[in-house]
Amino acid sequence: MSVQSWEYKPAKDSGLPMAAWTRSLGRESGLLSTVGHLGWRVVVRTALRGLHRLQIEGKRNIPHALPMVVISNHASHLDALVLSSLLPLKWCDHVFPVAAGDVFFETPRVSWFAAVLINALPMWRKSCGRHALADLRQRLVQEPCGYILFPEGKRSADGQLQPFKPGIGMMVAGTAVPVVPCHIQGAFEALPRYRRLPRFNRLRVRIGQPLVFVDVPNDHEGWQHICAELERAVKELQRPEPGV
Amino acid sequence: MTLDQATLDRLFNWRTALDHPVTKELLVFVAAALVAAILTTVLLGRAGRLSADLRKDLRERIRSWLILIPIMVIPVLAGAAWTILGVGLLSLLCYREFSLATGLFREKLVSVLVVLGIAAITFATFDNWYGFFVALPSLTLCALAAVVVGQDRPKGYIQRVGLGVFAFMLFGVGLGHLGFFANDRLYRPVILSLLVCVQMNDVFAYCVGKSVGGPKLAPHTSPNKTISGALGALVLTTGLTSLLMHQVFAGTEVGAWGHCLALGLLVSVAGQMGDLVVSSIKRDVGIKDMGAVLAGHGGVLDRFNSVLLMSPAVFHYVGYIQGVGLDQPRRILTGG
Repeated sequence: MSVQSWEYKPAKDSGLPMAAWTRSLGRESGLLSTVGHLGWRVVVRTALRGLHRLQIEGKRNIPHALPMVVISNHASHLDALVLSSLLPLKWCDHVFPVAAGDVFFETPRVSWFAAVLINALPMWRKSCGRHALADLRQRLVQEPCGYILFPEGKRSADGQLQPFKPGIGMMVAGTAVPVVPCHIQGAFEALPRYRRLPRFNRLRVRIGQPLVFVDVPNDHEGWQHICAELERAVKELQRPEPGV
Repeated sequence: MTLDQATLDRLFNWRTALDHPVTKELLVFVAAALVAAILTTVLLGRAGRLSADLRKDLRERIRSWLILIPIMVIPVLAGAAWTILGVGLLSLLCYREFSLATGLFREKLVSVLVVLGIAAITFATFDNWYGFFVALPSLTLCALAAVVVGQDRPKGYIQRVGLGVFAFMLFGVGLGHLGFFANDRLYRPVILSLLVCVQMNDVFAYCVGKSVGGPKLAPHTSPNKTISGALGALVLTTGLTSLLMHQVFAGTEVGAWGHCLALGLLVSVAGQMGDLVVSSIKRDVGIKDMGAVLAGHGGVLDRFNSVLLMSPAVFHYVGYIQGVGLDQPRRILTGG
């Protein structure tokens, strides 16, 4: 042949019914989803800055390219919105908040909202096998994408930091993917677990230096090490500055 | 804006839906065909003449037809406005499946331009602005070629632009011609006849091919199609189409038997070629179906593949002989 053949890469989730598509860990965005993600992020960013007077410290610590994982303490549904608003809009299709499957992907309507607007991927907490984490790790390494996740696993009941779970280690151990630790202050007061509507108090997010675990072995010990390192990094960001 | 009563009637008046006898005949024919298909499946199933798989497949196909037929027929009966919007939506759905299959959906800029092109085709059709309608292929090609340069990403440029232009030509322009028929006063019987004939073309090819067998038509492209099926469909579809067209265009130049036979040949050949075009796309990409929206059929594009080439072919034949919608007000929204 005189010219090289074109290479086609069909959508990984092509042909899935809507419910399965929204839950698919390989889900990719079409034009409608892009419009949804972009619109949602613009609205959320405007609301957080206007109504919650969101204050950001350390924005220079966010890497300029994907892949990356952004983590923080977790006390409110606002946390994922705060973290996604830190990232450039051009990444809206490629950054996925990892959300509780039993909260955001149980019913078709909520799943659609989570997939088409938030661009969330499900994590099934009760039956989260290694294959799900392995799928997420594979996607993170193979294509440039980003995850927003909360290593505590669930929202804190009292606003205090809970011990981190080692799942984050399974995703990044032995890879060059940077993990950006953040600490969000004020989200628990604004929208704790027991409230349905938020109070519009001030929110503050501190962004720490990214950490890379390329030399950490991808085994149980390595995962625990990563888990401890990240917990320590988030706790450091939690500390009030001297004289405050 | 020149929206006189006659134009408003053409666009929105559903009360005139059954004025033309061919429209009524076609509705009766479609209903009868559906009932016959259901009865045949039930009777053959009870007699134990169908395997479980075939029975399931036939049930799924009939169920899909029960949804598809109203979706295709109701907009045409409701008025030209709904017909044009329906064709626009069909173009978008076909583009969606094509872009998912080829991976073009990842190129958002190309997709935005193709979608804007389809929206412009739909607008030009609604406006009955033929000049803009025929200018859009060139304008969209210019827009795609020029705007994509702005990405400053030459690697894969030809593929991105080439796929975008191909998709726009097939789904925007190809299907757009079916929509433009809605600017003709005879649009209801014409569009319904074409849809029925092109679908029957598939049925004829399947039935004749299964009964006669023989050498394959294009074994690497579509392994199930036979030459006997293609020839059988050619004869039967030409007969059916020319009979219908003779009634639809009675009293006009196209109504002459010679033109009706030519239209029948065009419907059958272009319909089968459209089917093979989509089969080639699927084989090239390496997928079986373009989607899974229609149980038993695959994707929307698997069902409407034969309309893609048939619409412009028939449109320009009729246009060349006597014109389409020449007696209707032009540029009803933009004036001029």
